[in-house]
Amino acid sequence: MTDSGPLPATAEREEPALAPTVGQRAKRIFLSDYFVLYLSLAYFLVLMPFLPTLSNPANLANILSNMWPLLVVAIGQTFVLTIAGIDLSQGSVVGFTSVVGAMLLAATASPDVLSNAPIWGLIIDETGGPLAGVPGGIALAIAAMIAAGGLIGAANGLAIAHFRMPPFMVTLVTMIVISAFAIFLTQSENIRNLPEAYIQLGKGDIVSVYFGEQDESRIPRREIYSFITYPMIIAVTVAIIAHIALSRTVFGRQVFAIGTNRRAAEISGVPVKRVIVLVFTISAVCATIGALLYSTRLEAGRPTLGDGNFLLDVIGATVIGGTSLFGGKGKIIWTVFGVFFFVLLSNTLNLMNLSSFHIDMVKGAVIVAAALLDVLRTRLIRGGI
Amino acid sequence: MRTVSTLFAGAAFAAASLGVAAPASAATICFAFQDLETEFWVAGHTAITRTLEEAGHTVIERNANEDANRQLEQVRDCIAQGVDGIIIIPQDGESAVTIVNEAQDNDVPIAVFNRPPSDLSKGIIVVADNASIASQAVDFLAQEAIANREGDGKLTPMIIVGDLGDPNAVGRKDGFYAALENYPDDFNTPIEVASEWDAATALANLEAAVTANPEIDLLFTSSDFLFPTIRSVFEPRGMWVPRGEAGHVVMGGLDGDATACQLLKEGFIDSTGVQDLYFEAEAALNAILAAIEAGEAQPNEVIEDPGFALTSANLGEREMDMWGCVLLSEGFLDQ
Repeated sequence: MTDSGPLPATAEREEPALAPTVGQRAKRIFLSDYFVLYLSLAYFLVLMPFLPTLSNPANLANILSNMWPLLVVAIGQTFVLTIAGIDLSQGSVVGFTSVVGAMLLAATASPDVLSNAPIWGLIIDETGGPLAGVPGGIALAIAAMIAAGGLIGAANGLAIAHFRMPPFMVTLVTMIVISAFAIFLTQSENIRNLPEAYIQLGKGDIVSVYFGEQDESRIPRREIYSFITYPMIIAVTVAIIAHIALSRTVFGRQVFAIGTNRRAAEISGVPVKRVIVLVFTISAVCATIGALLYSTRLEAGRPTLGDGNFLLDVIGATVIGGTSLFGGKGKIIWTVFGVFFFVLLSNTLNLMNLSSFHIDMVKGAVIVAAALLDVLRTRLIRGGI
Repeated sequence: MRTVSTLFAGAAFAAASLGVAAPASAATICFAFQDLETEFWVAGHTAITRTLEEAGHTVIERNANEDANRQLEQVRDCIAQGVDGIIIIPQDGESAVTIVNEAQDNDVPIAVFNRPPSDLSKGIIVVADNASIASQAVDFLAQEAIANREGDGKLTPMIIVGDLGDPNAVGRKDGFYAALENYPDDFNTPIEVASEWDAATALANLEAAVTANPEIDLLFTSSDFLFPTIRSVFEPRGMWVPRGEAGHVVMGGLDGDATACQLLKEGFIDSTGVQDLYFEAEAALNAILAAIEAGEAQPNEVIEDPGFALTSANLGEREMDMWGCVLLSEGFLDQ
């Protein structure tokens, strides 16, 4: 206090110290909400010279097209992971609800294929499903799908919340039962002949783009690229609603509270059981909307839709985004970036002409790396490193 | 892996014998297949890829691992890569329709190998006449079963059906019933066992069916790849017995693979319907290359493989017409 002279000098000396070091910058990027986006962009830029097709507009349109259905399902999983749960039944809900929608809407059905199915004659016959050609039939069928999916999710949530059963076990059993039921309903057959307006929900373009001059009267279809599509509108709408629900509402705070410490949340007056039921219902409804997009892009209700490695993709994309498997940490924007990275990864591995076995091995390794990064980030935030 | 490498010998034979037209310029072909679970698919895959590569074309391979959605995404990736043509072995008839439409909408010629779309009007469709081949094979089985009948009672036939979402499976089932309709007084209503083209499913369902109906006189499997599964169910029950011995169940299948050839020679089975794999591969390749050469973006054509039935009666004459017997003679099952 007696020597005022050194103060400015000290301030001058301290100025460089205030600027973040490279390590601090790296840490800031690593902990940023946009880390996976930066990673995706870096990955894209590094590979671009080696894979010229990567930046081709048709390929970019493919990446976006593959992203939307997966994103919708992954958003549901984000809610579940945030309460420190897991929903293994999403794939079976996708298969089952795709069958529900198709059997209600199919314009015709072949007895050669479906006559042995229990739904034959009861719900669907040669003249199609009960809502085929009915005004507003598509909306009713979608409502029925969402109701069916929502009921499955609510049943999961009730078992987990009220009987304190482990989410892994409950949703595993649901996966087995619902998958088997979907296959039983159609005897493993697919249901085709869906109405065009319904198919458009999974394939329809709203805005398409063409780069270049129009030299000929007809532009080849392969040079017209989908830009804004119905699946994009549906997925982005779901993402915005989910983002608001998770980050701007009391319900969202309750989700984080349960994921951080269920017991503490209960003591604090959070309606834990109700929130858990709601979260699993949201997860199943998201899977149902995913079913809508997947089954319409494939133009059939398929009981086996959502089988195989589908869950690996959903959980993998969510975890890569940064949602913690330990609960209490998750953001919809992270899931958007995680799904983008995951789809980009699959796309680039395809462009490298790797076999499906190698692709799955690489995907698995990336998911493990993402889980390790999650541990690392959590420690960094808590100051453990 | 061993299977694939072993089949290179067969493929070399195939490549030498496939009369694939020489192209004016090398083409890039996307070959998207659903899986390589059975000998038939492995042999078909090898014949197609080796023949194309030896003719100077570039082959981009995509294995969908039995996932229809993944196959659609893979075909879209191929289209984005600017391939000249696509050959697919689809997951099922429904997804084949979607994928063929996707390719044709993007002006890329596409051929469907062996597993036809539910709608045959679009694309180059190479398909065996499954109903006719199955009917020939089952007709022989029916005559054998009637000839071996003890007493006057009706005989009990059984069919292992494939995934009925696959038109091949539907055709084979139809052929089975069509053949038995010729002998209305000799057979009971057939017992159907679902396999969904999955060995584990077939095993579980066949065990249940045989336990409930131990007196089976005739068995037809919609695909030869299920013979090892049938053996594992029949052998412990004393039903896996060669021709001429007491307890032999008259048995047949369809595909014409190496295992079926060996079992036919050993007498455990009596007939198998044969798809001419090399003819089908050659037809698919010639048609897609011709379309590319002609600049035809939406070629539509159905190419039918008439096939035939290899039986214990004509084994000596037609053995080497069956692709599985060719592989067997090259030591495929000894590896």
